[in-house]
Formats: sequence, C-alpha cells, structure tokens
Amino acid sequence: MSKNKRTVSMAGVAVVAVAATIGGSISKPAAAGLNQGTSVSRASAGTLLIWADRDRERDITSLANAWGRKRGVAVKVIAKAEQSNIRADLITVKADNAPDVILGAHDWVGQLAANGLIVPLVPKKSAIRYIPKYTRDAFSYGKTTSRLYGMPTHVENVGLFVNTKLARVPKSWADLEQQALRFKKKGGGRVAIDVQQGLGGTGDAYHMYPFFSGLCGYVFGKTKGGALNPKLVGLDNAAFMKNAPMIDRWNKEGLINAKIDNDTAKSLFTSGKAAFWVTGPWNIDTARKAGVKFKIVQMPKIKCQSAPFLGVGGVMVTKFARTHGVASAAKDFVGSYMASTAAQTTLSVKNGRYPANTQAAKKIRNTALRQIGLASAGGIPMPNIPQMDSVWADLGTAWLKSTKGAGATKARVAFKSAARSIRNKIAGG
Amino acid sequence: MTETAAQHSPGSKAQPPAIRWSLPARIVTGFSGLPGLILKFALLAILNALAVWAGVVLASNERWPALAVLVLATVGIDFLYLQPRGLPLKFLVPGTVFLLAFQVVPVLYTIQVAFTNYSTGHILSKSEAVSTIEENTLAPPPDGQTYTLSPALDKDGNLALLLVDDASGKPYVGTEDGLEPLATSDVTIAEGLITAAPGYTLIKGARLFALDRELADFRVPVGKGAVHPEGIDSAVELAPTMRYDRKADTFTNISNGAVFRDNGKGAYASPTTNEQLEPGWKTTVGSKNFSRVLHDPLIRGPFVRVFAWTLAFATLTVVLSFALGLFLAVTLQKQFRFQRLYRTILIFPYAVPSFLTLLVWRGLLNDDFGVVNKLLHTSFPFLFDGTWAKGSVILVSLWLTFPYFFLVSLGALQSIPGDLVEAARVDGAGAWQVFRQITFPLLLVAVAPLMIASFAFNFNNFNNIFLLTGGGPPAGDASVAGETDILISYTYKIAFTAGRGTDYALAATVSIFIFLIVAMIATVSFWRSKTLEQIR
Repeated sequence: MSKNKRTVSMAGVAVVAVAATIGGSISKPAAAGLNQGTSVSRASAGTLLIWADRDRERDITSLANAWGRKRGVAVKVIAKAEQSNIRADLITVKADNAPDVILGAHDWVGQLAANGLIVPLVPKKSAIRYIPKYTRDAFSYGKTTSRLYGMPTHVENVGLFVNTKLARVPKSWADLEQQALRFKKKGGGRVAIDVQQGLGGTGDAYHMYPFFSGLCGYVFGKTKGGALNPKLVGLDNAAFMKNAPMIDRWNKEGLINAKIDNDTAKSLFTSGKAAFWVTGPWNIDTARKAGVKFKIVQMPKIKCQSAPFLGVGGVMVTKFARTHGVASAAKDFVGSYMASTAAQTTLSVKNGRYPANTQAAKKIRNTALRQIGLASAGGIPMPNIPQMDSVWADLGTAWLKSTKGAGATKARVAFKSAARSIRNKIAGG
Repeated sequence: MTETAAQHSPGSKAQPPAIRWSLPARIVTGFSGLPGLILKFALLAILNALAVWAGVVLASNERWPALAVLVLATVGIDFLYLQPRGLPLKFLVPGTVFLLAFQVVPVLYTIQVAFTNYSTGHILSKSEAVSTIEENTLAPPPDGQTYTLSPALDKDGNLALLLVDDASGKPYVGTEDGLEPLATSDVTIAEGLITAAPGYTLIKGARLFALDRELADFRVPVGKGAVHPEGIDSAVELAPTMRYDRKADTFTNISNGAVFRDNGKGAYASPTTNEQLEPGWKTTVGSKNFSRVLHDPLIRGPFVRVFAWTLAFATLTVVLSFALGLFLAVTLQKQFRFQRLYRTILIFPYAVPSFLTLLVWRGLLNDDFGVVNKLLHTSFPFLFDGTWAKGSVILVSLWLTFPYFFLVSLGALQSIPGDLVEAARVDGAGAWQVFRQITFPLLLVAVAPLMIASFAFNFNNFNNIFLLTGGGPPAGDASVAGETDILISYTYKIAFTAGRGTDYALAATVSIFIFLIVAMIATVSFWRSKTLEQIR
C-alpha cells in the first residue's frame, strides 16, 4: 500500500515537473519580448503609440496613418475613455505600454512637465507660421527657462448661446439682465441665465469665469516678464471687491441659480425653458439636434470684458518616445505635421472645435463654430501651472456660496476667504 | 485519497451504499479516487506552469525578493498537496494566499508609500530627474542658429547631419566632432533641404526610422552648446542654462551663478531663495507626512468635525438599517398571501447597482428641479443645506442598506429554535417580552459580527457620499471639507484636488490613520460582542 502511495506521489511530482518545464519553455520567448520592451528600442517593431480620447480617436487615427505612410512608420492609436484618464494613467503606466504621443489640454502642461513626463519641442519656424503666439504660450512652461511642451491644435471656450426665437442677441449687459429676468418671470420653471454650477461640492469655476472676469476678477497676476506669478492671487483685487455686491443682487433677483447642474442645464435650454445658455462647442450638436435656433456670442461686458477661459488642446511628446527609440519620428509628427493647415482643418471639421492654425480657422464653414471662435476674442488661457488645482475648488465654492439663493454668503466675504485659502495652499504646497 | 485509489481497482465489486445519495453528492463522491487524483495533479501542474512563467518574468526584471517569495510559495504548496496529511491546511491555504496577495500586500505597500514623498513633481528616480532637468533647461542661445536637416550616412556608414543654415542659407555637415562648412557648389539644395552631397547618402523613410534612436541622441558640438536634431527635418542650436556638477551634486545657473543643492526632500533647491528645480524625484522622507497630518492646520482643522460626522453616519446607517430590516423580517416571517412577492420587492434596492441609484437619487432630491420637491410642491433644500444634506445622505444609505439586514435577519430568525419560543409562551410571556428576551439576544449573537462589518464598510463609504452630494454643501470654515464629507472623501479631496496636483503619499498616510481608527473600533466591538455568546 505504501509502495503504491509512493509510486503515485512520484508520478504526480513527475507530471508537475514536466508541466513546469513546458511552462518554462513557453514563457522564455514571452519573457524575452517583455525584456526587450524596457531596455531595447521598439524600433524593430516600428510603432508609434498615441493615446487619444474617444472623441478624437477616429480623426487622429486617419491623420496619423496618412503621416505614417509618408514616413514609413507604423502607428497605433489607443483611445482612453476620458481625457482625464490620459493624464492620470501616464503617471503610473509601465514603460512597455506607455504612449509616445498624447492628445491633451494645455492646462496639464504644468503638472506633466513638473513630473518630467513630457519633453520640450523646438518646432521649425515654417511649421508654426500660422499658430498664434498665445496658444503656444499656453503650452509653454518652465520655472527657470520657459520652453514649449506641445503643439496646439484647437481652442475651446464657453460662449453665450442665445435662443433667437425666445430672445434677442443682447447688446449690453443691462440688456441681457433685463431680457433674462423678464423671461424668468413668465414662470413655469424658466430660468434667467442657464449656467451650470452643479453640486459636486465645488461648483464650476470654469463656466462661471466670464462673469468673474466681467467683474474685473483675475486668478494670477503676472511677473514683469509676463509669466504667471502664483504668489499674486487676484480673487480679492480692489476692482473686483468693488463690483462684488452685484453678485448679491443677482442672487436676490434669481439671475443665476447655483442649483443647476450639467444635465439640468442641457435640458432647460433644449426644452425652451432657458433663452440664454453659457456653454461650449461640445454642446453645439446637442442644441442643433434639439431643433433650437441659436446664435453664439461672447458675454457682454459687465464692468470689464467678460473674457472666457480658453482651453487650448494639443498634442505632446512623452518621455517614453526616447526610451522606445521613436523620439525623432514623434517630434516630426507633433512639431511639424500636426501644426500644418491640412491636419488641423481635418481635425477641427470632424471634431467641432475651433482650430489653432489661423489658416485652417479661415476655412471653417460651420456657422456655430465660427461664432464661438469669434466669442473667444480676448479670452484668457487657463493657467497651466500646477498650483491651478487649488484654485478650481475654492473659486467654484465661492460662487456656489454666493449664488445659492436663500442663505447665500455675501460675495465679498466668500471671495475674500477663497483668496485666503488659495494663498495658504500655494504657500504650503 | 491515494489510499482509496490504490485500493479500488476499476470494476471492483464495491457496491453503491444502501442510502440513495442526491445528485450533487454523487457528483462530488465521483471525484474521489483516481479521477480526483488526476484532477489534483492537473491543477498543480497548471499552477506550477504559471509559477515558472511568472518566475522568468520576475527574474528578467530583476525583482529578486518577489522571485524568492514566489519560489517558496510554489514549492510549499506543491509539498503540501502532494502528501496525505495536513487536511485543514489544505483547505486554508488558497484563501490565505489570496488574503496575503490582495489584502496584506497592498496595505504594506501603502505603508511604504506613506514614508515617501510620492506626489506631483516627485515620481522619477534621481538620475532621471537630473537628466530631465538638464534637458528641460536648454535654451536657444542669443546668437543660436536653426537649420534644416537631411540625415545622411558618410563613406564609413556613420550618421552625419547635412544642415542648411536658415538665416544664411549656407550648407554644413555636422558630425560628432563639430560643424564643417560644405562648398555650396558641391551640394544640391531643393526647398531649403540638401538633396545630394558628394560622399554622403541620404537616408529616408523606413531606414531613417530604424536609425531613429541614433538620430535623436546625435549631438554636434558648437560654441557653448550643441546642435540638436528636432524631428527629422530640422535642427536647432541649444545651449545649457544650468550646469550640473556631478561631484558636488549641484546645479548652477550659468547666467547668475545661483546654486541649487539636493535638499534631502527630493528636489534641488536654492538654500537662499528656497526655489526648487523641477522635476524632483521620489525619495523617503521619514515621518514628514505623519507629522503633517497631525500638525498642519489645513488638514487638522476640520478633522474632528469630519471624524465625528463619519462616526455618526456609520452608526446611524447601521443601526437604522438593522432596525428597519429586522422589523420587516419579523413582519414577513409568517406565511401569508404574496409573502414571496413582498420579500422580492424589498430586495431590489440592494440588487440594483448603488452607483446608478445614487445618481438617480441626486436628481430626485435636487432642490429646485428634483421630482420629490416638484411632486410635493415644496422646496426642501435636500442637498443644499447642511443639516438637510446630512439627513438625505442617511436616508439614502438607509434605503440602500436595509435589504441586507432584512435578508440576514430572515435567516437568523429561522435559526432560533422554535421550542424556546413555545416554552416562553407556555410560561405566559407576551409577544414583546418574547422578542426582547429570547429572539433579540439570540439574533444579536448571529448578526453582531455583520453589524460590525457593515459599520466598517460605511465608515469608508466613499460612493454614498461622493455621488450624492460630492461631500458638499460647502461648510462655514475655509477648508475643503464640506458638510457631508467623511474621512475617506476628505482624504480624496486633500490628496487630489488641493495644492499641487496629486499627493499619493499624503493620501496613503491619512488612509493609514483611518485604517487604525476602524481597526480599533472593530476590535473593541468584537471583544464586546463575545459576551453575547454567554447568553446561550
């Protein structure tokens, strides 16, 4: 009995050992492949890896393939569900799976450059001939030396969508206020100005920015050299403090309702319960599909110009391009090809975004897109320094507190404490 | 098992026992003997094959401690399952392995991260940071030139750059030794790029791509800096603005002489102005994060308030859900018409993904536009007033949690011996007395551990808070913590939305504090609940 037991056990061990060897022989090529990915270049595989968000995946794939065919480079595009996933995953991704080029927004540049994840570019002058300086500045960053970290491809901003059936395009702020309040008085759940703040606890400083700049507020002051200085916080500057009581008046009149969130804002405008909607090009199709006849203008000047925040989207080269041995190809794609008029026209037409390239901008046929491009005049690119993160929450909360209807905090108090909180965070961080 | 395999030969006269076993039981017993043995070897073989593959990967990445653990674990498991003794251990080992891998290891990793400075600006290694700073602080010198570029191979097959100066139009050839002018008559220039030059063959297309790495690293020394290729058809002269002294481990600003030293906290900083160079690197910083949690007023300020609310929220959710679940279980205990239907409906809140229902509730409870307020023609500030928001959060959590306690109570009620209740009735006890003195204590013995577990879960119930109110509405003080923030959502806010980007190390530190609090409360509760056992 024990001899049988021993035989069976030995047989078992033998089987297991054989399986282990088989596993080993299968795994060797796999391991070799993995090993190569980290230290040896992937030039033998010859692929440029691009991360894009789902909206732009198709367009960037066709552009990248066209470029790849000309240059003899294979290209692979991976679509991430959200733009924010691109930025978050870039920090933790392993070198083997890391992208060489990413599509992103200019306000990531500070964080990504501070993390050393993107590389600076020096594109040739002929390539950036039609890319305006302010978009390139949006992509520039550097504490001691300012360098360009990406190529701008499009500009987006919020504008005032006016339902031309229910209201006239306002000629001035007073006109807008009058029309909006009169519309609201009609009742039936109508709102005066439809702008989302939502609850998420921290409001929506981005959508409220035209009101903020219209009251002469600003976020960061500039140094003598023109760079942003995070030590000069402008939330409580003298001019804005003088105009802040207007916010209290708006709150009392119900001009702005802090309880409107993203979905509610959309449904109010598309169902005709709002004549004025503050939103961006991502909702042009939504409004059109709902059959609303609308025109887009910049918010009228309140006390200062109601300039919106500009988001500049673009392409960047990551540090992994060097590890993978595709750095020159990546810089050619980003610094040269993506700046061209042809590429930016294709991207903007399919995407519904205003291109950065001024020649491509001239070719736009879509009326709404042209209007929102005009509405960006004088707009301020969102600061791209890492300290900006502390601003969003505090600025949004200040708006929430002062426009929440009954029991709202006085605007002067709310914005002053927001400014103090931001200064503390920047000093401590 | 091996003994029986040896004992029974196939087709022996072992008859099926007189008892008629159920089908599942017969299937299970079918596995004893030879089939079971083969299955065991097959599973062990697969496990070993996986272990060998994983081992090779670990070895090629030079992760020696992980490899050692893997080898020891695999050999240990093999030995355990290939010998007949140690039956309890055979049952415990799979669960323990997963517990160690997916619970213990992440906790240890979190503790390790808490002692570093892993955050925005500190994710590279020091050598990577140094080379990145050197690269990022290059700048075109005031008299620097830009060139068009045609990569080419010289007579010996080495890479050389054929350049045309943008400003003057003069052609040059750049090698690792420097820049040499070419005679304009010798070269052909088309559209600003050199298309032919004697002694050089141009590289294009896929061949150029194969040399991409060499091209990107090529430098032509010129003046104070070098000519760097940018892409494949242009090059630019760049000079360093920061000099790295390898021996002293400092960076010096070439123009104004400012010196930046390693400040021991993962960055090069100037001792006088406290300015830091970017990027920094990841390094251990000892207990800096812990002392920050304990002393920084930004974090400590609302801590007591948030902690008190977290305790209140978890306790109230559990107690109220338990009460409601038990009440419904007792009510639906007896047989009556549609009993099964009621029971099924009451489980729905638990069955539907809470992620969805929380977002639906957020819409329903909106002050001005939500269905609840519209139907009642009221405007209760469900989510916008501090106290109301707290109430709403508890109400929605109650709605989501009571079916769990309903199910559990149903089961526990069945397990109470009926003759105890009968005996009490015979002795003259009323219904409430029976419940209070017999049913409830026995029930509590079974359910107390589950209540403790539910308390621990709700203490860290990020979803319920964040999806419903986002932690808001904003509280009176200047901190990021809203009125309904619990410790974990507060951690999320201070680590990821305040200050400079993401601060994983700080988040890890606060998580450890939360873990200690919850572990302490759970341990004390378990000790106390042991006394319930004595009721039996």
